[in-house]
Amino acid sequence: MEEIDKLPEYPQATKEHSRIYYYPGCSLMSSAKELGESLFAIAKLVGSWVEELKDWNCCGSSPAHSVNQDYALLLAGRNIVLAERQGIDELYVTCPSCYVRLRTAENTLRHAPVKNDILEEAIGKRYDGTVRLKFFLEVLTDSRKDIFKDAVVNPLKGLKPVLYFGCLLTRPEWITGFDVLPYEAELRSFVDSLGVETKRWGYAKQCCGAHLAVTKPELADSQVDKIRDQAKRSGANCIISFCPLCQVNLELRGSKETRLPVFYISELIGLACKLKNADKWLKKHLVDPMELLEENKLL
Amino acid sequence: MKKNDNGFLDQVEDKCGHLLGGCFHCMACSSGCPAVEIMDYYPNQIIRMIQFGMREEVLKSKTIWVCVGCYACVAQCPNRIHIPHMMDALREIALEEGVEPGEPDIWAFHREFLKQVDKRGRVYELEFMMRYKLATGSYFNDVGAGLKMIKHGRLDLLPTKVKKLKEIRAMGDYFDGRNR
Repeated sequence: MEEIDKLPEYPQATKEHSRIYYYPGCSLMSSAKELGESLFAIAKLVGSWVEELKDWNCCGSSPAHSVNQDYALLLAGRNIVLAERQGIDELYVTCPSCYVRLRTAENTLRHAPVKNDILEEAIGKRYDGTVRLKFFLEVLTDSRKDIFKDAVVNPLKGLKPVLYFGCLLTRPEWITGFDVLPYEAELRSFVDSLGVETKRWGYAKQCCGAHLAVTKPELADSQVDKIRDQAKRSGANCIISFCPLCQVNLELRGSKETRLPVFYISELIGLACKLKNADKWLKKHLVDPMELLEENKLL
Repeated sequence: MKKNDNGFLDQVEDKCGHLLGGCFHCMACSSGCPAVEIMDYYPNQIIRMIQFGMREEVLKSKTIWVCVGCYACVAQCPNRIHIPHMMDALREIALEEGVEPGEPDIWAFHREFLKQVDKRGRVYELEFMMRYKLATGSYFNDVGAGLKMIKHGRLDLLPTKVKKLKEIRAMGDYFDGRNR
């Protein structure tokens, strides 16, 4: 009987990344600077050197595909061709929204020669189909798990987060390429390894309102209130986010009563592993997390 | 009386690359849509209206502009009807045909964002927000949120740009919002 209870170990990937090429996207440079800094610190932890895609441009985000599909394809496509020309075979994308845009374009360019023609006409280059796009978190899931087991010197006891995936972290799976349930389970077990007590809830993929936070703030307020209210009902005292836009919306919008600190997963890893500068990232929060962290003696 | 356009369904299907005939109106999309409360028609109603050829009503609707493309609908749809791509196609057709957008502010948001992209290849959030406010006349709405972002160092004070702007401009020819 005992043997049946033992689950098989998750297979450990052994791939080492000596150099990680990444696509930052606009928000990593401004509204989500702390996300960038914390992600790079983690890359260093697993022994990788990070390098930015040279001369990258905006992926087009929601506005481009909202008004013109070819424009969206071109904006995202140029970055992929740049990567190909720079000899990059794996490009890591830091923002879930950029990731979906770039993967959509990559897929289209690989399968529709007509679209490659449009790209060639505009920028004089074709895409040959040699770039693999990955989401930045895969740096973690590809690395050897024991690196983290040893690195967690400050287990985050007392933090009770819910994982907020947002719309685009896993969805749509035929674009992101993730096998959704195992991927989510892996993220969950990874977060648990930081010593936190993850709460289960049903709002992990409920949209934060995205760009409607600017054009229809009342709608975003009510969305964010629903999400944070559900988080509180599940017993959570903070939220873990993976997306720059979700993080801003979940801290900036909604009513005072439902407020909760929203951490990037990478910030918590920084705190748990006592990485350099981890305390500085926390100052950028729009909902001050210090009280929660001090209360639990995590600083 | 408004006339129905029997070619409309074909036009939308062509543009978005998906067939829209499989919808049996289970309303999974409309029940799960996070923005449905500010739509004038439910997403499945839009599909039905396209099937009926109600071109004008569809292209003038708020719904097609309110959709943020969160993919909740298509993830839940038992027939995998790609509503977000359908909405993209409808907006594109509306703009091509010069139909007045049902949600001018959302169109202004997209347009000002893309003007930033066209100008520098990247988005300078501070100027983008200013220009959006100028375009919509909403100078004093939501100022607190903007100030909060600046105070916490969440908005860059200076822009960065792409070196090969010529390439960006060539791609921008596909977007005709430059002069609007």
